[in-house]
Order: sequence, then structure tokens, then C-alpha cells
Amino acid sequence: MLKLFEHETLDVSNLSDAETALEVQDLNLWFGNKHVLQDISMRIPKHRITAFIGQSGCGKSTLVSAFNRLNDLYPGCRYQGSIYLDGRDINHKKENVSRLRTQVGMVFQRPNPFPMSIYDNVSYGLRLQGVRGRRQLDDAVESALKDAALWDEVKDRLFESAQILSGGQQQRLVIARALALKPDVLLLDEPTSALDPLTTLFIEELMAGLKKRCTIVIVTHNMQQAARVSDYTAFLHQGRLIEYTDSDTLFTMPEKKQTEDYITGRYG
Amino acid sequence: MVSLQNMLTPAQRQSFTISITAFLASLLLLALVSILVLIVVRGGAYFWPSPIYEAEFYNPATASSKTVYAQMRVRTEESGSRVWQVSYSDASHPFGTKTLVEDHHLNDRALATEAAQIDLQDGTTVFARPNHLVTAGGTRPPLSDYEENKQQVMALTERIEEIRETYLSGIHEQLAELDIRDVEQDAPARLRLNAEFAKWQGQTRELEQQRNAYQLDVTFADGSHLQVPLADIERVNRVNQQSWWQKIQMVTSGIWTFLSESPKQANTSGGVFPALFGTVLMVFLMTIIVTPFGVLAAVYLSEYAPDNAFTAAIRVSVSNMAGVPSIVYGVFGLGFFVYTLGGNLDDLFFADRLPAPTMGTPGLFWAALTMAILTLPVVIVATEEGLRRVPDGLKAGSYALGATKAETVLYTILPIASPGIMTGVILAIARAAGEVAPLMLVGAVKFAPNLPLDGEFPYLHLDRQFMHLGVLIYDGAFHSQTDAKGASMMFAACLLLLVVVFVLNILAVLLRTRLRKRYLL
Ligand SMILES: Nc1ncnc2c1ncn2[C@@H]1O[C@H](COP(=O)(O)OP(=O)(O)O)[C@@H](O)[C@H]1O
Ligand SMILES: [Mg+2]
Repeated sequence: MLKLFEHETLDVSNLSDAETALEVQDLNLWFGNKHVLQDISMRIPKHRITAFIGQSGCGKSTLVSAFNRLNDLYPGCRYQGSIYLDGRDINHKKENVSRLRTQVGMVFQRPNPFPMSIYDNVSYGLRLQGVRGRRQLDDAVESALKDAALWDEVKDRLFESAQILSGGQQQRLVIARALALKPDVLLLDEPTSALDPLTTLFIEELMAGLKKRCTIVIVTHNMQQAARVSDYTAFLHQGRLIEYTDSDTLFTMPEKKQTEDYITGRYG
Repeated sequence: MVSLQNMLTPAQRQSFTISITAFLASLLLLALVSILVLIVVRGGAYFWPSPIYEAEFYNPATASSKTVYAQMRVRTEESGSRVWQVSYSDASHPFGTKTLVEDHHLNDRALATEAAQIDLQDGTTVFARPNHLVTAGGTRPPLSDYEENKQQVMALTERIEEIRETYLSGIHEQLAELDIRDVEQDAPARLRLNAEFAKWQGQTRELEQQRNAYQLDVTFADGSHLQVPLADIERVNRVNQQSWWQKIQMVTSGIWTFLSESPKQANTSGGVFPALFGTVLMVFLMTIIVTPFGVLAAVYLSEYAPDNAFTAAIRVSVSNMAGVPSIVYGVFGLGFFVYTLGGNLDDLFFADRLPAPTMGTPGLFWAALTMAILTLPVVIVATEEGLRRVPDGLKAGSYALGATKAETVLYTILPIASPGIMTGVILAIARAAGEVAPLMLVGAVKFAPNLPLDGEFPYLHLDRQFMHLGVLIYDGAFHSQTDAKGASMMFAACLLLLVVVFVLNILAVLLRTRLRKRYLL
């Protein structure tokens, strides 16, 4: 099954523009006086799964949140450097942040469905975009739920509260909610760390299927998960990008001592 | 020092704490229950017909005794002596009066089976023994024909009203118009109208005479007679002969009168409808004003305001505003809203009517606005509390779907905080419905001739003064102590005020429960 999506391995240190979904250039980010991200430069390949690993507190969430400018919500946050998406710098002050966030979806560690019906959750983003037509919304909700492999479980209770779903279903609902906007990039910040192993496996399979629709960036604590699902892996340590290459290489023959220490469990 | 903690084992300490809290809680409950029982019993007594006695008592002021039909309640003074509160009628006070009689001055007291409590339309009461009816032709039909005769009287009254409305008031208006146009006194149009007016007036007089011929002949306990026009009688209750069923009917109709009619005899009888209406309408307007303002202020404070010392200071002063005595708000309302704001509005828009003020006088709108200011802190504090409970994860989820701050507030934060908002509104309603002092400064009055809502444009008269249950109760509490009936009308009004607050609260709580279920997290 997974074989279907296998493809040639790219050299992420030397990606062409056409193969790049996001390009980060000299990104520095501070929370107050704390220098959280330091001189990050990288290219994230299109339609691949890229994993970010590293000790907790090393800046993984902050880095992916820079991709949809969610860090703007924190008053003490400052940043420098550029992030290119579709050839434009999203850190530019004229960037339309609302539109950017419809292009770059995000799923968080804890499932956070809104206290509304399943239908309203999935159509939330579209309704914000001004989509009002009932047919249009119905179709979008159905296809998003199908993409998130949740349709069969909820098709008879679309108008019941999302709160009654199980944790794994809620997380897939949140994925569907993001997919409904047809994003180019989907950011998953430790999407399975609050779920049981079986549900985790289910979501991992889902990701493999989703990468033909969008570029996936996943933050994870769990190295087995990174090795299992991702095509490329980036290792972050104390706000710096230490090593970034295809997952096979990173997990079998890491170049840097710090990476080796981390993946062999010598710290963290 | 040997402290309590060292003397007791942990288990003992725990049970000690539990018994103290349980004791205090039951004390509180007891106080609450006794207030309720007092109000329900005294308020209920207002509607329950009390028996009529034939009583003979000595009046030391005139050094004579008299025999009357009366309703009596006994009360024990602090000194231990017993005093009777007596409501009675006799030849010198045919329409009822009240007095206090010392127990040793009461010579005789016996149930008077034949006597009746005759309620008149003006709110007064005659205690007497009905004998027979009197009609125009001088015949004396028996009491059993009462209903039939009453119907005829009512038909005549209707006819008179009809003439007044269709002819007399129209002619009166036309004449007034002639006055305005300075038409001469002997102009033919005026003469014709005058003649017309006289004709219809003569007819109503005739009908009135006809109607007043229907009378009820009654005898007081001392044997003197009185004839009461049937048109004046509201109802005749032969209390002592009534069955339980009839008494319950009387109570029901009494409650209905109480709820649906205007007060009579300086708020001691009749109903409290205008006050009930005024109270509910004022609370309603207050809610409409305070909710959006309170919610907007809370949203600003907790979502938009920078997190600095200035915001903290504002927050503290908002909480402190909840502790300002209500009369201060009343004075503020009078000084700022009524005189300053109202006065300036008058100068701007109603200058032609000055010096008579239009907006620059206490009225319903200023009262609702004052109460809104008074309850604003409660709404702000409760709403902020509700907003704080919205999980950051949900806000982030909304932003991550491309929502702006305003959209996130509107579609995610406010719905989830709505039970908190409702809590604030509930507290505001409870507070506003019970306030009296500030209202008396800004628009509530003992008696208002018109309701603030009627069929006349613009239907809702925000500038009118209005009646309020709290004011009615305050007013009732100052009636003379001999006025047993008036006092229990006050208790009945208390009971009603409690019911109003209860109902308003229950409605709000139900709404909150629904919202909570819907936005359960
Ligand atoms: N809103 C914030 N305000 C201040 N410091 C923050 C904030 N968010 C994260 N940080 C700090 O930035 C660093 C990186 O955090 P984060 O990106 O969440 O780490 P990770 O996701 O890798 O565990 C941490 O030291 C954390 O304390
Ligand atoms: Mg994190």
C-alpha cells in the first residue's frame, strides 16, 4: 500500500524552486529577550512529509507557527528573516495573514473542535471566506470529511455536537476542518501525542494518503513516528537547525554528533 | 498558646468544621424560609376573606360605646396588652374606617352571619347587612335579583359611555378647535355645536338618573339604613355564609383584581398592575441597555486592551463600582441624565415646550439607564469571567482557519462565553428588580396616571414616569399601623415582587442551561 507513494529521494539542501513549498531564509525569532529561533534556513519540499524533531522547548512549535504567522498572537514576539510561499515573503508586513492561514492549515497537539456541530466545525473556515451556498458547503464538508477518513463514521450525525466524538475522531475532524480550505501546506504539531497507539497508527496512514493533496509538516516527539511517516526530517536543538536530510539517512547515518546523541537517546 | 488544632485529632477537626459550616448553612436557610413564610402568609391573607363580626366597643375619646359590623385582627403589643385592629362601617363612616381598640374596651364580639363586605368601585368597603334592592319604579325586589339588576345597570353604563365617546368628546374637540381659531361666541357653528352638546348631555344625565335609581338598601349594626347605588358596587361578599368553594373563587378574583387593576385609595386597595408593568418594563429596558454595553466593555478589557497597569486599574475600579451604594447612582442619574443630558436635549429638540421640561424630568428611560449603569459592573465582571474560560486552544484553532480577531470573538469566543454573560444578566436583573432608592430619584412614582406603553403614538413613552412595585411597598410601609388591610396589600406586593424576580431569574437560568448544554466544553 505505502509502496504506491514511494518516489525518488531529493536532496533538500539543493531543491529547485519548483520542488519547494516553503523556503525559510535566515529566520530569527525572539519571545521578549529570549532568542528562540536562530538563523534558520531551509527548503521544505512540495508534496512530501517533513518531520521536525528535537527536545521539548527547542523551538519546533514556534518554527511551524512561523509558517502561518500564528506567533503574531503573542505580544512579545519579534522576528527577522523571510519565509517564501508561492514566491512571496509571508513575513512581509503587507501579507494578508487571514489568507495565508487558509493556505497553510494547522492542527494542534490537543484536539480542539469548536463546541458546535460537526458540520459547523468543518464549514467554519469556508463560511469565514464568505461561502454561503448550502450545496457548496455540503459538498465541501463531505469531501473534507472523506479526505480525513471520518465521513463513514459521522455521516449520519453531522448536526450533532463535535464534543461527543472520541479523541481520535476529534483530531481527524480538526484535520478535515483544515482540509476543507484546500490548503497548500498542512502543519501538524504533535498531532498524535494525546492519542492512543492504535488511533495514532490510523492518523499516520491518513497522512501518507494526504501528501498528494498538500505538503505536510509534522512536529513530533516520537522518533519512531518520524522514521515511519516522514520523507525528510529536520533536527532542531536549542533554536538551531542542526541537521536536515532525508529520513533514512538521518536515522541511520546522522552526520552530526548532536543528532546521533539525540536519536540514540543520549539526551531528551 | 494552646491552639485548637493541637487539641483535636484531624478527624475531629474535620467533623468540627463540617458541623460549623452545616450549622451556618442551616441558619441561613432558616432565615430565608422565615422571610418567605412571613411574606407568603401575610401576603396571602390579603386575598383570603376574613369573617365579619358584630362588635361592641367603648371609645374613650367620646366616652360612648358603639356597635358595628367589622373585620378584626388581634395583635399583642410589646407591653403584653392585646389590641384589636378593627375595620368597620357605621352611620358616621358608611364607607369604612379603621381604628385600634384595646382588648378591655371590647365589650362584645359575635359572628354576624347576615352581614356582608360590600366592595365599591372606588376601592372603599361597606360592612353592613344587605336588605333588599330598590328600583326606579320604587319596587323592592329581593336580594336574589341582584345579578339581574346589576346587568341592567351595566347596560345603562355602557350606553352612557358610548354617548360620551361617540358624540360628546367629538363635539368637545370641535369646540376646542373653534376656541383656538378664536371664533366668536355667537357664531352659528358654535351655537349649533353647543345645542348638540346640550342635547347629548341631557340624554346622559337622564340615563344616569335612571341608573342611579337602582340601589341596594343596607342596614348597619346600629340599625341605621344606607342606600348604595348598584353602579358603585364592585361586588357583595357575604363572607360568613360562603362555602370554601366560594371563598376560593373570591380569592381568585381578588388575585386577578390585584394583578390587573390600578391601585385605589392611595395604594391601599385595588390592584398593582401599573406597578407590575412598570417594574417588568424597566427591568426589560435595563437589560436591553446593559447587555451590549457590558459585553462590549468586557470583550475590550479581556481581548483587546493591552495587558498593563492601566487596564488593571480599570478592572479594579469596575469591580469597585459594584460596591457603590445605589442611592449614589440615583443622585448621579438625576444630576447627569435628567438635568444635564435631559435638560440639554430639551434645549435642542423641545425648545418650543420650555419651560415645561420634556426629557429634563425623571422618567422611564432615565430610570432604565441609571439601573443599567448600576448593574454594568456586574455584567462586565461576569462576562470577563466567562471570556477567561474560553480555552486558548480554541482561539488558536479559529485563527488558524483564517479568522480575524473580530471574527474569532464573534463566532468562537462570545458563543462559548454566553453562559457567563447570562450569569451576569441574571445578577443584573435580580439587582435591578429589587432596587428602589435610586428609582425614586429618576422616575418611579407612587402614582402615575398613565402606563408608559399605550395605543398612542409613539406607543412606548420613555419620558413618562412609572410605577414600581418596590416604590409601592416602600409607600405602603409608611401607612398608619391601624391600616391592617393596607399593610397586607404591601405584603401581597412583596410577594408579587418576589415572584417577578423569581420568574425573571428562572427564565434567564433556563436560557443559560440551554446555552451551557450547547457550548459544553
Ligand atoms: N508565547 C510564548 N511566550 C514566551 N515564550 C515562549 C512562547 N512560546 C514558546 N516560548 C518559548 O520558546 C521556546 C520554544 O518553545 P516551543 O516552540 O513551544 O518548543 P517545542 O514545541 O519544541 O517544545 C521555549 O523555551 C518556550 O519557553
Ligand atoms: Mg511544541
